[in-house]
Amino acid sequence: MIVAEENVKPKRVMLDPRGGRPREKSKTYIEGLDRILNGGIPIGNTTLLAGTVGSGKTTLAMEYLINGAKNGETTCYISVTEPSSKMLENLRTYGFFDDSLVTEGKLNVFDLGIINDRLGVERLDGSYTSKDMEALLGAFEDIVDELQITRLVIDSITAICYQLPDKGAIRNFIFRLGQFLATFGCTTMLISETVVDARTQTYSIFGVEEAVADGVILMGNVQRQGDLLRTLQVVKMRGAKHSRSRQLVELTPIGLSIVPLLKWGQDTGQVFT
Amino acid sequence: MSILKQVVASIKEGDALTTVALNSDDYRPTSIEIVKHLLSKKLGGIYITTTRPSGSIIADLKKVKADLGDLYFVDMISLTVGGETEDPRTMFIESPTMLESVLLNIGLLERRIKSKRHFVMFDSVNGLTIYSEKRVLKEFINVLANTMRLRKSYTMMITVEEQTSDALASMLKTLTDRYIENTDG
Repeated sequence: MIVAEENVKPKRVMLDPRGGRPREKSKTYIEGLDRILNGGIPIGNTTLLAGTVGSGKTTLAMEYLINGAKNGETTCYISVTEPSSKMLENLRTYGFFDDSLVTEGKLNVFDLGIINDRLGVERLDGSYTSKDMEALLGAFEDIVDELQITRLVIDSITAICYQLPDKGAIRNFIFRLGQFLATFGCTTMLISETVVDARTQTYSIFGVEEAVADGVILMGNVQRQGDLLRTLQVVKMRGAKHSRSRQLVELTPIGLSIVPLLKWGQDTGQVFT
Repeated sequence: MSILKQVVASIKEGDALTTVALNSDDYRPTSIEIVKHLLSKKLGGIYITTTRPSGSIIADLKKVKADLGDLYFVDMISLTVGGETEDPRTMFIESPTMLESVLLNIGLLERRIKSKRHFVMFDSVNGLTIYSEKRVLKEFINVLANTMRLRKSYTMMITVEEQTSDALASMLKTLTDRYIENTDG
């Protein structure tokens, strides 16, 4: 006969009210961003950081790397469009930057031009062959593996995509890049330059990158009474229950800060594709 | 009862958020009197100004010998009018339309306050009507009021009686714990 035990209290189980078990996150330590990402970017995700000119993409990406480096991670920035020396000069104007992170090897900055030179893949017509693509992927893999990089930024993926022959090659390149970075546990931001054309903003120039990436964070501007306000919206983030509201981004002395954008205070005519 | 006495009573009774409706004649001296009094009681403070440059308010406070040691400012006007923008105790907002920046800067300044308790003075709600559309302003006041309530600092929303529409007054009465106005006649 089975006798029910008396006075046995059921064990309390803490459940996430939204269900499921959360993935381990790479905290951005950016004021307000971890809140809307529900703790940060899932480790190993490749995120497309898309936005128009002057929307704050590079600043956000650099702050993500610097905050990681300050917390003991080894991080890497690959500059595609401008010399890294110029980029570092600009960085020194921000209060959150610390030169010692570079000298101590916590923040590694590379120029894609120099990587291309060393690989011998610099082409006069500016386009990559499939062999060049393999060499470049191999070089990225070596950097991440040898330096034990846990945070990587490629600025910009758009400039690399311009050198790939077609959309299939772009899809293949980003997919394979994301795949090996995930196996190394490296969380990556790919910066995507976008334009607003007739009130329509895309997530990328080629329309392929966002489909392959694990996450899309869209940065842009809204007009209010003639003033331009920087905005940010997490469009997708695999493995995170995130906010999809549009946020205001402001550059403060301690770095970027993100607060919810007033609903009536934004241009509602813009369309995203 | 004087406005200052009503503010003190409101703090003692545990209010989090009050509206202080001042008539235009009393507006400047009374707002300065309230700030001076609260600072003398060892409260830290954040003064958000939408109508006058912070430099002018600091000068007024110095004139009455207020202790400015733990008082900080969010200035929504000086950059717009090309005024002095170097004061280290002040966060300058580029344009009075950038309402979200107020919340953000209050958060930043709260980290600098050394006193155990602090107050926030928003001077003035009606001043924002000059720059923002009605529905944006309505939303902002709602967000500001509820954010400040969550932060548990004592917040006063100043409004100038003669420049406060019935709709704005009614909204402030709904959102705040107490609507303080001059009852002396």
